[in-house]
Amino acid sequence: MKRMVVMETSEQNPSNGHRTDASWVNDSAHKAWARTRGAVSELKRAAAIEERVNRNPYGTVAAALGIGYVLGGGIFTSLTSRIVALGLRIGIRLAVLPMLKDEISVLADALGGEGGEGSEGSKGRRGGKAAKPSGER
Amino acid sequence: MEIAEQIESTVRDVGARVRPQLDDAKRRLTSLNGNVTGYIKANPGRCLLGAIAVGFLVGKIARRV
Repeated sequence: MKRMVVMETSEQNPSNGHRTDASWVNDSAHKAWARTRGAVSELKRAAAIEERVNRNPYGTVAAALGIGYVLGGGIFTSLTSRIVALGLRIGIRLAVLPMLKDEISVLADALGGEGGEGSEGSKGRRGGKAAKPSGER
Repeated sequence: MEIAEQIESTVRDVGARVRPQLDDAKRRLTSLNGNVTGYIKANPGRCLLGAIAVGFLVGKIARRV
């Protein structure tokens, strides 16, 4: 506020020595800009942003998108819950389906062996499977 | 037997027609990927700031909806 008044007086009467104020403002603005640039370059160096970008450009951009989303206050929203639910569903499917597949193939093998080997082999297998839980207990 | 041969020839024709288009699409996608990656690597600060700004806007919109 005070600076504005000084600026006005310097405009009204430029030869009264207030011109130095304008140059002082200019200098301080330049200094502030230089400091900001220095801080940004320091931050870049500290976070090794360029290395990260070179290593994984899409991932870094996605991370920046996520940071912006969080800063924008999008965490506790219905969109986030939908995205999380979709991700969980896909993840569970990807994790559980192979397990189920393995179990079913093991079961199918067991059933096939049971039919092919005859009653003695199947009895032995059943006994072996039943013995495990009882042994664990 | 004739039907099987007809189906086989039709499939071959379709494959021969579609394959160049698929190759072209693959080449274009590879080129686009290279361009995008190159741009991001050339201007990391701009891209990251832009991504943060876009994410911020999306977050704001999601909050309002």
